[in-house]
Amino acid sequence: MKQSSWTCARKISQSFCLAVFLWLFLQTEYRGIDQLPYPVSLLFRIDPLAALADFMAPGAFGWQFFWPALLILLLTILFGRFFCGWICPLGSTLDGLGKVIGRGQRAFSPGWRRVKYYLLIAMGTATLFGVQLLGLFDPLAIFLRSLTLAVYPAYNYGLNRVFDFFYDHQVPLLSPLVNNSYPVFRDYLMAFHQPVFVLGLFTLLIFLAIVLLEKVEQRFWCKNLCPLGGLLGLCSRYAILQRTPQGLCADCHECDSLCRSGAAREPGHMRSECLLCMDCTGYCPEEKVKFGLRSGSDNNLGIDLQRRGVLTAMASGVMIAPTVRIGPLTHEQNPYLIRPPGAVPEAEFLQRCVRCAECMKVCIGRTLQPALFEAGPVGLWTPLVVPRIGYCEYNCTLCGQVCPTGAIAPLKLPEKKKNVIGLAVIKKDRCLPFAKGIECLVCEEHCPTGEKAIVMEEKDVLVNGEMRRVKFPKVINRLCIGCGICETKCPVEGASAVRIINEGESRRKRPELLAGPYG
Amino acid sequence: MTQVDRRTFMRNSIRTALAMAAVGSLPVIDLMSAPALAAEMPSLAVRKGKDIQQLLQQVISALGGIESFVKPGDIVVVKPNIGWDRTVELAANTHPQVVKALVQLCLDAGAKQVRIFDRTCNDERRCYTQSGIRAVVEGIKSDRVSLEYIDRRAYQELKISGGVAFDRWKFYKPALEADRLINVPIAKHHSISRLTLGMKNLMGVIGGNRGRLHRNIAESLVDINSVIHSDLTVIDATRILVANGPQGGRLEDVRHTETLIASADIVAADAYATSLFNLKPEDIPTIVAAANRGLGVMDLKQVRRV
Repeated sequence: MKQSSWTCARKISQSFCLAVFLWLFLQTEYRGIDQLPYPVSLLFRIDPLAALADFMAPGAFGWQFFWPALLILLLTILFGRFFCGWICPLGSTLDGLGKVIGRGQRAFSPGWRRVKYYLLIAMGTATLFGVQLLGLFDPLAIFLRSLTLAVYPAYNYGLNRVFDFFYDHQVPLLSPLVNNSYPVFRDYLMAFHQPVFVLGLFTLLIFLAIVLLEKVEQRFWCKNLCPLGGLLGLCSRYAILQRTPQGLCADCHECDSLCRSGAAREPGHMRSECLLCMDCTGYCPEEKVKFGLRSGSDNNLGIDLQRRGVLTAMASGVMIAPTVRIGPLTHEQNPYLIRPPGAVPEAEFLQRCVRCAECMKVCIGRTLQPALFEAGPVGLWTPLVVPRIGYCEYNCTLCGQVCPTGAIAPLKLPEKKKNVIGLAVIKKDRCLPFAKGIECLVCEEHCPTGEKAIVMEEKDVLVNGEMRRVKFPKVINRLCIGCGICETKCPVEGASAVRIINEGESRRKRPELLAGPYG
Repeated sequence: MTQVDRRTFMRNSIRTALAMAAVGSLPVIDLMSAPALAAEMPSLAVRKGKDIQQLLQQVISALGGIESFVKPGDIVVVKPNIGWDRTVELAANTHPQVVKALVQLCLDAGAKQVRIFDRTCNDERRCYTQSGIRAVVEGIKSDRVSLEYIDRRAYQELKISGGVAFDRWKFYKPALEADRLINVPIAKHHSISRLTLGMKNLMGVIGGNRGRLHRNIAESLVDINSVIHSDLTVIDATRILVANGPQGGRLEDVRHTETLIASADIVAADAYATSLFNLKPEDIPTIVAAANRGLGVMDLKQVRRV
C-alpha cells in the first residue's frame, strides 16, 4: 500500500509519543533523587477525562496542571481526533500489535459506534452525581494500568529468569556477557525490585481482550468503545479540517474497505469518527484525497446519537449512584482499607482517583496494590496500602508527586512524616512474646518514627510453669503513623502478628480531642 | 588431719592456679574452641579524636598497619552498617568518612578489589544514598572500589557446624569468598541485644528471614560469626546512638564519643565498645556467648591495648 508523507509523519508521531510515554514510565521510579526530575504523569496532564474527573471533584479546578488537556480539546475542536491517530499510546499499541496478530475485517453495524458516546454520557452523568468511574474506561488509564500491573511485571519476571539462568549455569562466552550487562538493566531498564500486584492477571486479561478486539475489526476499541474517543468525537464535529473528496468517489470504493476508522462513507465524511491517520492520502489510486481547511459545501456525516439512546445513557448514569450506595460505607466497616499518605477523605478520593496506577508504579516499598472490592463496588483498581506485601517508606513522598488528580495530595517530607494513614495493632495470640514467651523485637527495631511508636516493655510472666522476664512490644498510639513496616517485617510466618488498621487516619474529618487519654 | 598453715595454703593455691593456666593454654584446648582464639593475647586499639581520617590511620597502624590485614592482590570486603534510610548525623549508619579512609588504606595496601555492601532494612537505594556512603565511594574514583547492591541470587545455604540456635543459614557468597573481610559497624543501642556492634553487623551478609534470629539473638549471632570470620573489626564510635536504636531518628539520642575501636578479635572490640555506653561486656549476652564458645576474648584484662 502506498504511503503518503502524511502517513509517515503520523507514524513517526505515534512512535515518538509512545517512546516518550514508555520512557516516562521507566522514569516513574526512585533513582536516587527524592523529587522526581521528570513530569512522569504527563500522560494524564493531556488527558481530558482526567481533567473532567478533577473538574467534577470538590475544590477548584487544577488549571495549572490540566491546561495541556484543555489544549488538546481546543486543538480537537479545530482539527478533529488527531489525538487518537497521532498521540494516544493505546491506539499506537493497537496499531502495532494489530499488525502482529493480524486484523479482522468484520464490518459491524454503525450502531456500535454509539456505544462510546453512551459510555461517555453515562460515566459523565454518574460523575455529576458523585460516582466517578471515568478511569475504568479511560484509554490512557487502561494503558498505564496494564503496563504497571501486568506487562511490566511480566517483562521483569521474564528478564530476571534469563539473567538467573546465565548466573546459575556457566555458559561459555554468554554468561560473562549477560552477567556484566545485568547492572545496566537493573539500574535503567528494569524495576529495581520485581513488581508484584494482586490484580496483575485480571488486568492483563482485560488488556489482552482489548488487543484481541483487533482480530474482530481494526481499532474496534477506538471506533466503538473508547469514551475518550467519544469525547474527542463530540468536540470534532465542527472541526475546520476537511477531507476532499468528502465521500466515496463514484468509480472507486477503496476508502470504504481501507479506512481504519470507517469514516469515509458513501454520502460523506464522518469527521467525528476520522482518526486522521492520513492513510487515504496515500492509497488513493488517483492521489485525489487531501485534507485542507473547510470550504464550500460541508458534507459532514454526523452520528445520530438518537434521543432515546442518550436519555437511556443519562438515566443509567443517574442510577449508578443509588445502585452502588445501597451498601454500607466500605470505609467505615473495612478497617484494612488504608490509603496512601496524603490521600484526601475517602468520598473525595473516589471522585478524584482515575485508577491510572501511577502511584503503584512509583511506590518504593511495593505497598500500594490495586483494590478489587476492598474499597467497595466502585473502588476497583484504586490504590490500597497492603502492609504485608510492602510498607510505606518513611522518607518517601513519591506517590503524592505522581498522582495526576490530587487524590493523593503532594506532601512535603515533614508533613508526610506526620501524616497518619493507620495504626498498628498487635495481635497477642500470634505475637511471639505474648503467645509463646519468646523474645522478638523486629517491629520495634524497624519502627521509623524518631521517638519510636513501638516500644518494648519488660514484664515477669509465667512461661511453661517458670517465671521469666520477657520484653513485650507496645504501640504508642499518638506516635504511630501506620507506615506498616512492622507488619511487613514481622517474622511470624503467614499472617502478621501486628496489623495496620485505618483508625485515626489524618484525612478523616472529625473533632480532635484536646486532652485526655488520646490527647 | 594435717594442719595447713597459711603460707602452705597460699603456695598450693598459686601452684594450682599456674597449673590450671598452663593446661588452659594448651593448643588442644584451642582446637576445641574456635578458630579465632589466638594463642597470644589479642591486640586492641582505641583512639579518640576529631579528625576521622587521622583517627583511622592511628588505630590501624597501632595494630601493625593495614599491611598486616590486606595483602597486595587481595579481594577485600568492607562491611559497614548501611541498614537504614537515615542521614549521617542521626548515627544509624557507619560514618562515611570512616568507610572512605578505610577503603583508601586498603587501596594503598594494593587490594585488587574493595567491595562494599550491606543487606539493608529500608530500601537499599535510599540507604546507600542517605547514609552518605554512596557519595564518598563515588568520590574515591577508583575502578577497584565498588559499592554494590546485594545480589539476591548470590546466597548460599551453609551448615553451621556446632550451631546452637540454627543448624544452617543462607550466607552471602561475596562475603564468604573474599580474601579479607573488614567489619565496620557503628555502635548503637538495640532493644533485644542491648547493643549492636561488630557481631550483629554481620547480619548484613546473611540471607533468609533475619527476624527469626531475634528469638535467640546471642547464640544466633555467634552461629553466624562462627561461619563468617571478620579479619578486622573497626567499630565506628565517632558518634553513637544511645536510645531508640538501631534506627534512631532523633538528634537527642546521639552522643559524640569521637572514638574508633579496632581489633582483629571481634569479641574484644565489641567488649570494649560496651564501656562507651557505661556497660560491661558481661551485660551483653552476645558477647558472653561468643566468649564462652571461644570466638574471642571478652575479658579486657586479657587483651593487649596497643
